[in-house]
Amino acid sequence: MTWQFSNRDLQRKFDLLALLSHKEFALKYKRTTLGILWSLFNPLLTALVFFVAFKVFMRFKMENYTFFLLTALFPWSWFSASVIISSRSLVDNVTLIKKMIFPRHYLIASVILAQMVHLVFSVPILLVVAAANGSVPSPLWLIAIPIAMAVQFAFTFGLSLAIAICNTYFRDIEYLVGVFMNLLFWMTPITYPMTAIPERYRPLALLNPLTSLMNLWRSIFIHNTIAWGDLGIASLMAAISLTAGFMIFRRLEKRLDEVL
Amino acid sequence: MGPVIQAVGLTKRFPAFKNPPGFKEWILKLPNTFRSGSRPTFTALDSVSLSVKKGECVGIIGKNGAGKSTLLSLLLGTSYPSEGTLHVEGKRTPLLELGAGFHPDLTGRENVYIAAVLMGLTRAEVDGRIQDIIAFSEIEPFIDAPVRTYSNGMYLRLAFSVALHTDPEILLIDEVLAVGDESFQRKSEAAILSRIKSGVTAVFVSHNLEAVKKIAHRAVWLHKGKVREEGEPEAVVGRYSRFE
Repeated sequence: MTWQFSNRDLQRKFDLLALLSHKEFALKYKRTTLGILWSLFNPLLTALVFFVAFKVFMRFKMENYTFFLLTALFPWSWFSASVIISSRSLVDNVTLIKKMIFPRHYLIASVILAQMVHLVFSVPILLVVAAANGSVPSPLWLIAIPIAMAVQFAFTFGLSLAIAICNTYFRDIEYLVGVFMNLLFWMTPITYPMTAIPERYRPLALLNPLTSLMNLWRSIFIHNTIAWGDLGIASLMAAISLTAGFMIFRRLEKRLDEVL
Repeated sequence: MGPVIQAVGLTKRFPAFKNPPGFKEWILKLPNTFRSGSRPTFTALDSVSLSVKKGECVGIIGKNGAGKSTLLSLLLGTSYPSEGTLHVEGKRTPLLELGAGFHPDLTGRENVYIAAVLMGLTRAEVDGRIQDIIAFSEIEPFIDAPVRTYSNGMYLRLAFSVALHTDPEILLIDEVLAVGDESFQRKSEAAILSRIKSGVTAVFVSHNLEAVKKIAHRAVWLHKGKVREEGEPEAVVGRYSRFE
């Protein structure tokens, strides 16, 4: 991907981020036979697992459950894979950090951007499932999906910055992240709808930043609208996450060379 | 013209290494974790001041553990001083650990792009120089093979070549003047010298005292984290070798 900037410094930063993201993505499948096809198979196989679990074994009674599930599962996978992988991205790039000067947060942004490719690949899958369910995707998707992606990117980036930098101080964190992600997955309305939560606990559920985000994705894919309330809450959470993440990162980054 | 590197009273302390604190200990000591108050520390560099003019070449000598590499990483900016101030004008190009940014599974060409952009070029600028970089490194036939298949010499030559072609303004060199075979060594030394002649500033750490005498305009002798002596290379190197 290339992009022309008039400002050389901006151009260089863009090139650096693009190259690091590309590296992250290319390395993922470098020595596999199927290569980039894994980006398509991965979401498909995940979807299959959940379909079998909920539809075949647990016999969940809900109309269009597969579509309902996938509309939140794919964005969730982007989030959770990004956080889990980027928690190690500083620790794994010791030589780069110790011997080169560049903005360290690019390492984390590049992981999230590389993981975003999966989400992009899963949109066609959603189109097919939507069509099979008889719903017609609207042109709104073209605007709404990038907006939701931007909000989710900001939220994920802030959280990942904090986790990755803390993991350089305490390597225990990367193990906790996996467990925590599992907990968060079941606490977020992904496999179940928001209405499954008792009404008086719903405001409480919205304290979980992923709830509004997943509601937003579903409003786009299922109802062809943008849930403005959820977008507002999700954006606020994203802003808080980004600000706090950068503050923690900036503060702890100063002693990065001592702990790595 | 003012100095391009102006370091005043640089001190670098590392936490003295004991068993790394685990999560348990961290929770217990949560309130004072981020204060660096009374924890035991090791002083690697003790109020070192250094001023380097544009186009000057400074050689840093000293025994292992004298703080030479710590000083270089402070000058480079990959590490922050515990005390003291540092002003650097111009782009710093590290020749510290050659090929630090290289990934074994990526090809030579892919690695060149990443390393060169990391060292301050844009992608379009690398497009224009890639031929020169490959030609200088003398590994043309292998440039599209993954670097894990390279010999050590090929790897270092490519890394050296990239760094040299990124328009360095300030070169920070850690014992890398000996890269590859003898003919490449001569070539790389000549290339560095020509950069210095054309106004590139250089600070280099070396155990090769002959190189220091030959290349450096000034030598700095570090001893136990402090500047023990500084001045004309011939004289400083002479006293340093007698001291050893």
